Amino acid sequence: MKFAFFIGCTMAYRLQFAEKSIRMIAPKFDIDLVDLPFTCCPEPNAIRAMSDDTWLTFAARNIALAEGKGLDILTACAGCHESLSLAKYELDEKPERKEKTNEILKEIGLEYKGTSKIIHVHQLLFDEIGVETLTSKVTRPIPIKVVTHSGCHLLRPERILHVDNAEVPVKLDLMCEALGMEPLDYMDKTMCCGAGVRKTNSVTSYAVLREKLTSMQMVEPDAIVVFCPTCFITFESGQRVANRIFDTDFKFPVFYYTELLAMAMDLPDTELLLNEHRVNIDLPKSEKTSEEAEVDLGDSVASSP
Amino acid sequence: MADESHRNRLDKLKETARPCFQCGICTSSCPVFRVAPELNPRLSVDSIITKGEVPREGNEWLCAYCLMCDQRCPMGVSLAEILMEIKNISAIEGKAPPDVIESAETLMDDGCLSPISSRSEKKRTELGLPDLPKADPADVERLFKLTGAAEVLEINKAASAEGSE
Repeated sequence: MKFAFFIGCTMAYRLQFAEKSIRMIAPKFDIDLVDLPFTCCPEPNAIRAMSDDTWLTFAARNIALAEGKGLDILTACAGCHESLSLAKYELDEKPERKEKTNEILKEIGLEYKGTSKIIHVHQLLFDEIGVETLTSKVTRPIPIKVVTHSGCHLLRPERILHVDNAEVPVKLDLMCEALGMEPLDYMDKTMCCGAGVRKTNSVTSYAVLREKLTSMQMVEPDAIVVFCPTCFITFESGQRVANRIFDTDFKFPVFYYTELLAMAMDLPDTELLLNEHRVNIDLPKSEKTSEEAEVDLGDSVASSP
Repeated sequence: MADESHRNRLDKLKETARPCFQCGICTSSCPVFRVAPELNPRLSVDSIITKGEVPREGNEWLCAYCLMCDQRCPMGVSLAEILMEIKNISAIEGKAPPDVIESAETLMDDGCLSPISSRSEKKRTELGLPDLPKADPADVERLFKLTGAAEVLEINKAASAEGSE
């Protein structure tokens, strides 16, 4: 399988280790990733809120680049996935918008046709590869309790995205189970992490995060598992900000799913990923790399900001 | 802003909102309303239906775009679309908040919303990640102009300069 890899700005420039984990597991599932000169997806809450036409045209440009190579797009961020999928829906369902958009794209030598599919790593692993295959690759199970957060923009609007049941998502839980983890149910499982309003009103944003984390804390998980870099950053770094504002005491380790997959498959160099985490967790060490891993972990604690 | 296209947009918006019978499930599902009740999707829709105008307060900019309201509406009203269109109209009126303007400018300058710094590039090298091909800045600028974003940016920059005087 070969895809145009839509990493997204947040993962490519702020959560590079999550991108690394995708590039680590890809060859193990015969996935080829091709990099193209994409722009931001673009992000809906700023760009689309300001100009719907601008949002649609930039998204169409991105999709047209993949179409030009005859490739489907593999997304890694929930936000990018939603933005590109909704844009594709608009363009495919509304001929007048497609025509208007293509008039503009013509100016930069491109055309949107509608031939490329958009699929998120979540869908690739669950729907295409399947939990059984994931399980068969696990050589180093991870025995921790987790809460999962698929991310608003993978779940809704369900009528267009079809990633999982938007009210009762279970697929990420099943993928965690495949790696030896115990997924826990919790009250506000489909609630937003708060990221969407952070720049406009940060206190409101962190209050939403506080509500979400409180709901998670009730079931006492060892870690949070996400499939979106923005949600990752909101949980991992944001919990410290929430603690300062609301005098709470959240300190959850957070993982992007493919990091755990890489570890459970006992792939080399996964300590590179763990070193980048701000909240650490004791996971069973790989026999192959335990010595290196210990040295590196020590360094990272000493130099962490 | 009483021109024809503005009127058309409001009329379309009213049509989209028409099936709403004000049950309030959107509001009770809204995570922002839970902590900041000034964002109330039901009242935003009400303003469109009963007054045919975009609410003056501009609280729609507090929407986190999580689409919970959109998911749960029993009448299939796309609340997300309505809130987004309210923001689009509000932006044309020069009322976009500073962070939105900033994001738009970042996209125009870099083609990307997360800052590409020497530090973030260095981290990519450290992790053995490939250099990523970048979009042609001239194309990015052209799309900005042709889709009307450059104009909306100017309107808002002028409005904020006026506001700060």
